[in-house]
Amino acid sequence: MADFRLDAESRTEFGKGSARRTRRAGRVPAVLYGHGQDVVHLSLPAREFAAALRNGGTNVLLTIVLDGKEQLALTKAVQRDPLTRVHEHVDLLLVRRGEKTTVEVPIVIVGQPAPDAIPNHQLNTVSIEADATRLPDSIEVDVTGREAGQGITAGDLALPAGSTLITDPEALVIGFLGAPTAEALEAELAEAEAEAGIEREESDEAAEGAGEGDVVPEPQDQGSGESMDAAENSKND
Amino acid sequence: MLIPRRVKHRKQHHPSRSGRAKGGTEINFGEYAIQALEPAYVTNRQIESARIAMTRHIRRGGKVWISIYPDRPLTKKPAETRMGSGKGSPEWWVANVKPGRVLFELSGVAEPVAREAMRRAIHKLPMKCRFITREGEV
Repeated sequence: MADFRLDAESRTEFGKGSARRTRRAGRVPAVLYGHGQDVVHLSLPAREFAAALRNGGTNVLLTIVLDGKEQLALTKAVQRDPLTRVHEHVDLLLVRRGEKTTVEVPIVIVGQPAPDAIPNHQLNTVSIEADATRLPDSIEVDVTGREAGQGITAGDLALPAGSTLITDPEALVIGFLGAPTAEALEAELAEAEAEAGIEREESDEAAEGAGEGDVVPEPQDQGSGESMDAAENSKND
Repeated sequence: MLIPRRVKHRKQHHPSRSGRAKGGTEINFGEYAIQALEPAYVTNRQIESARIAMTRHIRRGGKVWISIYPDRPLTKKPAETRMGSGKGSPEWWVANVKPGRVLFELSGVAEPVAREAMRRAIHKLPMKCRFITREGEV
């Protein structure tokens, strides 16, 4: 596993104003806690932190250098702006070398299932307990040849050596749905297009203007309809 | 098409167009998603049109989730009507979408197929959107 060293600076002022100044300076506000020690408020270099997450995955082991002292930490929670994808705040959990820690590991599908089966994630992550210095980035699940109706449970996953499953082994991780037949799909789409009044043409551009001026039939049993009389009168005028 | 079965008030005020999405900004079910970058009213017909465009491209291979619901009625007065005489009749059902909201999710297909399917779906929508993946790559 690559070593990601981040030079942290302690924070002495708090609140949104201070946090925004920190972000403008190219740093990410963070807190570091664990092992019963007091919470340490610090900031991390934004670019290096983003690169560490990008290259090391969500369970990357970070070496935080604060005031010349090195500490190992895992990301416990990462807040990102949904639009700009900028890291806004990070919770870091202090770990020690050789310590067992519980983390959520993402599940990655490899291979192609049978032609009529669609893999459907029921769990996107599973909890495992492993050595803090040997945490996997992800757990790969081979779905080659799986058919509709089958399922892969947490107990079926091939975990890396030295790790223990915390999630219920009976929990379904990936189910396999049956794909609709071509006729059924075409009938469903034709019905939906007819209901929406969409005229299908070969070119995509022809169908693009279909979103304007649609009139939805009024559902029944709604409200008192007190102003409908006025609307009717205005129509008659 | 998506229409509420019953509503408490059939004529409502116009939903607020300001602000950013408070929730529904992450992918919950699929592997890929369409995320709104601008505020917009998305009608049930636009939602259905985007879903059909996506489903036609992926054919039988994947599964589509719709993460928004058109639960706000918009009214319209008849043409050539003088002002007054009460509020017009419900004409559209719209979802009030704010920037950052995930609109559709997709799984079960390869990324190039998903990207093209969602590109076609985005063309049916009235605002700027982008393709996102579960890993956070844009």
